[in-house]
Amino acid sequence: MNVRLLRLVVSDLFIFSALGLSACASHPDTAQQATAYEEDFNDPLEDANRKIFEFNQFVDRNAIVPAAKAYRAALPDPVRDSVRDFLNNLREPLVFVNDTLQGEFESAAKTVGRFVVNSTIGIGGVVDVAGRWGVPHHDEDLGLTLGAWGIPEGPYIVVPVLGPSTPRDLGGQIAEGFGDPWNLLVTGNPWTLYWIPFVRGAVGGIDQRSRYIETLADIERTSLDYYATIRSLYRQRRAALIRRERENLPPPAGFSQRDDGRSPEAAVKTAARPAIVSEVPNLSEVPK
Amino acid sequence: MVRRSFLAAALFLVVGAFIPAVPTMAAADPSALISNLGSRALEVLGKNATQSQRVERFRQLLREDFDVPGIARFVLGRYWNVATEEQRTEFVRLFEDYVALAYSTRLAEYTGETFKVTGSRPDADGAIVSSQIIRPAGAAPVKVDWRLTGRNGVYKISDVSVDGISMAVTQRSEFAAVIQHNGGQVQSLITMLRDKTVGGGAR
Repeated sequence: MNVRLLRLVVSDLFIFSALGLSACASHPDTAQQATAYEEDFNDPLEDANRKIFEFNQFVDRNAIVPAAKAYRAALPDPVRDSVRDFLNNLREPLVFVNDTLQGEFESAAKTVGRFVVNSTIGIGGVVDVAGRWGVPHHDEDLGLTLGAWGIPEGPYIVVPVLGPSTPRDLGGQIAEGFGDPWNLLVTGNPWTLYWIPFVRGAVGGIDQRSRYIETLADIERTSLDYYATIRSLYRQRRAALIRRERENLPPPAGFSQRDDGRSPEAAVKTAARPAIVSEVPNLSEVPK
Repeated sequence: MVRRSFLAAALFLVVGAFIPAVPTMAAADPSALISNLGSRALEVLGKNATQSQRVERFRQLLREDFDVPGIARFVLGRYWNVATEEQRTEFVRLFEDYVALAYSTRLAEYTGETFKVTGSRPDADGAIVSSQIIRPAGAAPVKVDWRLTGRNGVYKISDVSVDGISMAVTQRSEFAAVIQHNGGQVQSLITMLRDKTVGGGAR
């Protein structure tokens, strides 16, 4: 019995290793291409992602864009700005936490100041008084904080309805959902208040979408592969924001998008390199 | 965020589309080149232009101030090496058509922006000029970085980054995806570009 089992295992191992070897031996191009593919896009779930992307586009066309157009048509600019200012103000506690986690104490202090001023003089955040006083809103999220700490973004994923993301960014978003003080406030209450975070999310999404109706339509129309374009834009944007977070640290030595940026992923890795590593080349430049 | 940046990129490139074919300043100083580009663009921004005029003006601008063959080579990435000489030649031509078409149709409606050069620093093969587009209604300014490659004292633009998003990298990523989805054939990308740019019509 045991021997049979052993033989089975051994034969399986043999088959696996034989397959592996033959794959290496006879299809070096395929293996190389697969590696290059990963490097370029880091999108192992691409088939599923594309299907979800398609679904999202369907939802976008048939529900989100019509809602965004109605929202834009129904409310004048100042009102929509107030909506955005109010939602931004609700985010300030989380922005503060992220500023602090990134060691950006000056930004953290500004965020506190904004929250206090706008919540009081700004009537609960509907008027961005602090912004008019020269302290504009700046956004932060946990995904950026994790990125600034050097945690890689992971493979590209498309989340139903929410759109482009990565495990790091999605994880950050979920954690923020649980840690958000307003969400905590309403979940401590009877069931009747549970809808509030959803409405907040939906209004925020529609407000955001309403600002890019023409732009996105145009990008889609002129793209050869809209999915690939959005994937690249998302990645590069996140990488750029993380580089900004790290601007106070020594910049990655010799970083050049042209030379080093084989892919946005590479840019992220470069940006996320520990500061100490980037100092090494400078040391080597010291004349002997 | 991504979307806003792209809008700004497109915006700027469209600003460029309004530049008439006036003689270019000697492009010896990278900052001057970009600043000149910006002010000439703003000068004619208010004027109306038809779609085809816009594409033509944009093409002129591309040829004068951008290193189109260099950019084309970059965006084709590793597929440049496997392309035949004929494919390369056709690709460069189609790429110019495509950029003129895509970026000039992308948002002609944006006006009222102010453009200023904020600095310049040397780079491995040229210089990087930083600039800002000041947007109306108190929106955050958009940072645009211009990568210039210098050859014999003449600078040409080789990439434009908007809030950290490189147009060349974006284009390369898209083209690579197209080729890979068509069995690694460069010809498939060329065919798609041909269809997209046929007759110079914005489709």
